[in-house]
Amino acid sequence: MKDWSVETLQEWDKKICESGKRFGLDWYPIDYEIIDYHEMIGAMAYTGLPTHYRHWSFGKSFEQTHTRYHLGMEGLPYEMIINSNPSIAYLMKENPLSTHLLTMSHCLGHSDFFKHNRMFKHTDADNILVRFKSAAKRINKYMEDPSIGIDKVERILDAAHAVKYQVQRTPERRRRSHKEMLEFYKDIVSSDKEGKYDDFDLEKIPLRPDYNLLAFICEHSRNLEEWERDVISIVEKESHHFVPQAYTKIMNEGWAVFFHEKIMNDLNLPPDLQIPFIKLHNQVVRPHVGRVNPYHLGYKLFKKIEEESGIQACFVAREVHDDVSFVRKHLDEKMCRELNLFSYSFKKSRRANTIDEISDEEGWASVRDNLLKTVGLNSIPVVRVESVDKKTHTLHLQHEHDGRDLEIPYANKVLGYITDLWGDEVKMFSIVEDEIWEF
Amino acid sequence: MSIFREHKSIADRSAADRQRHKKLIDRAIKDSIKDVIAEESIIGQSGNKKIKIPVKGIKEYQFVYGSNQNNKRVGSGGEHDIKPGDQIGKKQEPSQGDQAGNQEGEERYEVEVTLEELAEYLFSDLNLPNLEKKKFKFVKEKTLKRKGFRKAGIRPRLSKKETLKRRIRRKNAAIKAGTHNPEDGERFPFHKDDLKYKDLKPRLKESSSAVAFFLMDVSGSMGKDKKYLARALFFLLYQFLNHRYDNVEVVFISHTTTSKEVTENEFFTRGESGGTMMSSALELELDIIQKRFHPSSWNIYTFYCGDGENWPDDDPAVLEMLPQIKSMSQLVCYTEIISESSSRRRQFLFGSDAFSEELWDKLQPLTNNIFKRARISSKEEIWPLFRRLFGRDLK
Repeated sequence: MKDWSVETLQEWDKKICESGKRFGLDWYPIDYEIIDYHEMIGAMAYTGLPTHYRHWSFGKSFEQTHTRYHLGMEGLPYEMIINSNPSIAYLMKENPLSTHLLTMSHCLGHSDFFKHNRMFKHTDADNILVRFKSAAKRINKYMEDPSIGIDKVERILDAAHAVKYQVQRTPERRRRSHKEMLEFYKDIVSSDKEGKYDDFDLEKIPLRPDYNLLAFICEHSRNLEEWERDVISIVEKESHHFVPQAYTKIMNEGWAVFFHEKIMNDLNLPPDLQIPFIKLHNQVVRPHVGRVNPYHLGYKLFKKIEEESGIQACFVAREVHDDVSFVRKHLDEKMCRELNLFSYSFKKSRRANTIDEISDEEGWASVRDNLLKTVGLNSIPVVRVESVDKKTHTLHLQHEHDGRDLEIPYANKVLGYITDLWGDEVKMFSIVEDEIWEF
Repeated sequence: MSIFREHKSIADRSAADRQRHKKLIDRAIKDSIKDVIAEESIIGQSGNKKIKIPVKGIKEYQFVYGSNQNNKRVGSGGEHDIKPGDQIGKKQEPSQGDQAGNQEGEERYEVEVTLEELAEYLFSDLNLPNLEKKKFKFVKEKTLKRKGFRKAGIRPRLSKKETLKRRIRRKNAAIKAGTHNPEDGERFPFHKDDLKYKDLKPRLKESSSAVAFFLMDVSGSMGKDKKYLARALFFLLYQFLNHRYDNVEVVFISHTTTSKEVTENEFFTRGESGGTMMSSALELELDIIQKRFHPSSWNIYTFYCGDGENWPDDDPAVLEMLPQIKSMSQLVCYTEIISESSSRRRQFLFGSDAFSEELWDKLQPLTNNIFKRARISSKEEIWPLFRRLFGRDLK
């Protein structure tokens, strides 16, 4: 039974916004789209963007999400907001009022986070929707172009998607083009008095290792057509938009939960709204046994900061940290114990995952460090462009081995995709079982 | 203050991408079928039997860390009492090799198809070659002819032109009625009622009659694996004929040193020991042709499967009879099922012992577009061979 109308939502929105302001939140204006279940799943498939280019993987994502909800593996979806100015958020028609109120309070937290966290500085929230729209249009144009067609476009997208997270790990800094880099090194070489740069080869490519695979390929492949470069750069730009979110999943969700709780309690809800809210809230922040629930962890950490140093310290943290620095700084032994965190790995001999350390006196620091290896983009291997052979144009990649070996069959597939894009030979080096491995 | 917008449209924006995804899965099914056709379970089964085809999900690959001791992950123990050494989750079954598919969380689709649907998948773009317009007897060929339009149908048969026409008609009506104003740039979306699909009507087309002779060596030298491959190939040929033609006659002849005509069931299931004299099977075939299938009114197809180890003394008889059969047949295919090791041995023998010319080589002068030789050693080669025999791109 629908227990709300748009008017009710507007009334509550007024109260929620007033409360949010009292707490010191400062967010982009929010546009709520009220949509039904299918549109919601659709919006989720396209990461919330109202217009997005076509690719079969989004169809697959739709089917998967739909199946998960259909099988009851997850409750109904309730929250989806995108980092834009104004922020676009979705409310699912089928949800009751109490869920909408939680969602709306939650969204203030997200939007505030988008606006203030330093990782989001270069996401260009003002123009993002226009950019995505134009990208979708261009890709559609290529698909409909009789001389290109959907198969060729898909081939490029398939390949580009495989390396879309191979980006530089400093989203707050802009990548410099080869031309800019060349100016930079020319200056250094000419002003070098100590002879440190005597051997520096200004003609080599790249001048320093490049971590942005897609941007590098766009810039230096000799085999791409103009439309192909455009498609690759569309994927690369989209990554730019989403990488900050990957870097701050724990903080961002924690922040939103932290404030939806405050705001909802501030609203003095009648019991028929308060009780379902508490139920849903508890569901959101419950620990996921065997995994780490980012909502739960982030929420706990902000609670802890508030208790120890006051709410102002929370606002500072949401501005300056990303997940790695946030967890490193604030996840202490007490919290590890409270969350009952442990680290585990796959043991060949037992053919099963087995617990290595638990959060006791000796183990907790190691558990925290292992957690740090999986937050942000740390669960994604770092691969950099080392050099391009001047004669053969062979692309040399280097995996930065940090103790964890690559999954070889996957790496081989991805290298196939990189070869599709690069068009000349591609080589990659890594370490597998303590031996140098050439792919 | 926030803005609230209620969506009025029922746009299904992911429809096209879902369609595309489904297409990729279909393609994956087709690929898996090639593996499935040689699986014992479907050989010799009747047409309505359902077969499960496992299809791997369309995976999106990225660089990932493998499951090894150095790749530690972290989880929460919740309320549980945990200690180092505890096992998490289930034991993994030993995986088969290093395939990029044994990963945890891998999506697998199991698609159920009937044999008939399977045949449709496989054979839709093939055709029996050289189907001369001989004297018409029993056989009618089924064809589908496009005729008219209907409201419901499958996506590939959507008539864009008709659909568009209807939308334009509806749009013009809406403009007249004043419910739609083209000036204000609002979209005028397609409506379900606009959709028109091309209709197909089955038609029986007269066609010549055909008989297929399946000849197989079931002697001792045909090991279990080889028989298995031969069966798989015949199975495909049989399904193909059954699928495409209403009244194709099939004759099964199994032979060792002697031959007999057997039923389909016996043909696929019974094995015997003994030597190999291919000529006996050819003799029986010639006899049967003479008695029951006169070449002037029947298209004759002959498929032979053996391991190439015919008794050398028998070769002259084979070489005498094969040209006779060839002259009456539309297609004769001589197939040798060889194992990897035997093909190596053959090379070795050929180098050291040049006089042992194989039947395979002796048949070389006969080959042309009616007589074909083929060697297969694995189930993966069956489908390509089949395509080579029946594909339109033949020649």
